[in-house]
Amino acid sequence: MAAIVRTENLQKVFGRHVHALDGISIIVEEGEYVTVTGRSGSGKSTLMNIIGCLDQPTGGTVEIAGQNVDYSDPEQLVSLRRSKIGFIFQQFSLIPSMTAAENIEYPLIFSGVPGSERKRRTMDMLELVGILDRSDHLPGELSGGQQQRVAISRALVAGPNLVLADEPTGNLDSTTSNEIITLLKQINEEMGTTFLIVTHEPSIWFGTDRTIHLSDGKVVP
Amino acid sequence: MVKMTDVATISFRQVTRKRLRFFLTVLGIAIGVAAVVGVVSLGEGVRSLSVEMIKDQSDLTLLEVNADIRDGVTIPITGQKIADIQRDPGVVGAVPARRITYATERQTFLSAVDAGSAGMQSVFSLTYLDGRSVETGTGEAVFGYDLAETLRRYEGIRIGDRFTLLVRDYDEDGRPADIRHEFLLTGVLRERGDELDRLMITDTGNKDEPFDAVFVRVVSPDVVFPVVDRVEGLGLSAHGAFEQIRAVNKLFDIIVLVLSGFTGISLVIGALMIMNTMIISVFERTREIGISMAIGASSGDILRLILSECFIIGIAGGIIGNLLGIVFAGVINSVGRNVVIAELGAGFSGFAGADIVLVTPGVIISGMAIAIVLSLISGIYPALKASRLHPADAIRSL
Repeated sequence: MAAIVRTENLQKVFGRHVHALDGISIIVEEGEYVTVTGRSGSGKSTLMNIIGCLDQPTGGTVEIAGQNVDYSDPEQLVSLRRSKIGFIFQQFSLIPSMTAAENIEYPLIFSGVPGSERKRRTMDMLELVGILDRSDHLPGELSGGQQQRVAISRALVAGPNLVLADEPTGNLDSTTSNEIITLLKQINEEMGTTFLIVTHEPSIWFGTDRTIHLSDGKVVP
Repeated sequence: MVKMTDVATISFRQVTRKRLRFFLTVLGIAIGVAAVVGVVSLGEGVRSLSVEMIKDQSDLTLLEVNADIRDGVTIPITGQKIADIQRDPGVVGAVPARRITYATERQTFLSAVDAGSAGMQSVFSLTYLDGRSVETGTGEAVFGYDLAETLRRYEGIRIGDRFTLLVRDYDEDGRPADIRHEFLLTGVLRERGDELDRLMITDTGNKDEPFDAVFVRVVSPDVVFPVVDRVEGLGLSAHGAFEQIRAVNKLFDIIVLVLSGFTGISLVIGALMIMNTMIISVFERTREIGISMAIGASSGDILRLILSECFIIGIAGGIIGNLLGIVFAGVINSVGRNVVIAELGAGFSGFAGADIVLVTPGVIISGMAIAIVLSLISGIYPALKASRLHPADAIRSL
């Protein structure tokens, strides 16, 4: 299997002394379902942001789907975010003025996908996550679980190789959390999408291929 | 690259999300546009009324062309230039003339024009109260209505009379040595209400002396200014009722400029309101913008989206501003007209039946353009601020 993410001695220093990441080298294979855990401040979110091309490291290298990431090249970063990477954030990450369907369609607009194709793919996604009947609802009219289903659809709609999820079940009750986790795992198995999930919640660890523990910016062996 | 239609749809959704804020922001720029449209319309209206009054009250198609002095050099009226004027497509008739001042033996001074009688007829369409026109080179003369009246009363000169006029000249020793000219009065013109009423017209047929004026009749009032431009292009100067129009236009250019400068202050305030609104809006949406970047928006996309929101505010401001401006102009027209007439008196009674405001397409288009351009300028800073957000930081903010 090919590596979808490969980091080499990744460093991130905030200011002079705060080593958020201190020499992280990890490999995530295509199709893997990997969770990243660690206490608050262990560097989980920083690692996700750097792999997701939202932040740049102060040292080390990152390879996404075989491409060496040049963090000084905004065009490459945008292109990777558009085509290779999908993001799922905590709740409240949807655009409040757009309906569920429009939120899902939103990334495709930036990629320049034609309108009819966007509609078709959006409908497929709504069906996949089981909220086709909620397509015209605004985020404020949806439950927390439904909102996360929309967010998951938005992350997947451009057909990324890698989905990064930062606390996808934070702010959700346990029943809803389980539903979302089951959905993510199901997508991983059926579509072969690689998942890298940051979480506090032990329930997500079940069914993962692998868990990476971080502590003080280092991988705990 | 995002399609413009998609940008417009998304931006429209965003600006109308907070309806009251959008409305107030639009109103800010709209009031500025309305003030400018109203004031400029008033200026243009009074300008056009004044010009119409001048056109009604004066003979706009008559020009007198004179030799001009430029940089200390006199540019004479040559035969070539006369021919050029006569060939001008906007000119119906042009007659070269000499202006001469005579005195009668009783020292009554009078002005005379020595010009070809056929040409005079074509330019001035002379009609006779009595008698007939002069014949070339015969020493015959025709009096204007007022002049005939004066000379009949004080000098006893009537049609058919021979009379003597003097031109003041000096001999070698510097003493006055008047030259005497004999004339025969053959006709008197009808009253015209212009300079000709006080003039004597002769036709000496003299080919040697230079001409110092050309009387020109222009086809219609509309082509006066182009003809004047071409005459001035020959190095000559032109005079006539059009100069009043020119003066009025210059005056109103300044008035309109100064007034729109003052009302422009409200536009500046409107622009600042847009900037303020957009800065707040970008701040409130920091996380949203970060997420948009995470899911594929480039800095350029964000810049375009924010500027597009400003563009929408500008269009709405321009439309509402123009509508308010037209209403404003209507109010000035109905209320202001009576005030103007009461203040300026009967001399301006021409204002009574006419509109004192003139909303031209140019004013409307300018109002629209000002609103859009100002909105876009106001949006540059907030848009740049949004596009330069660091996505990871932006997403962290709540």
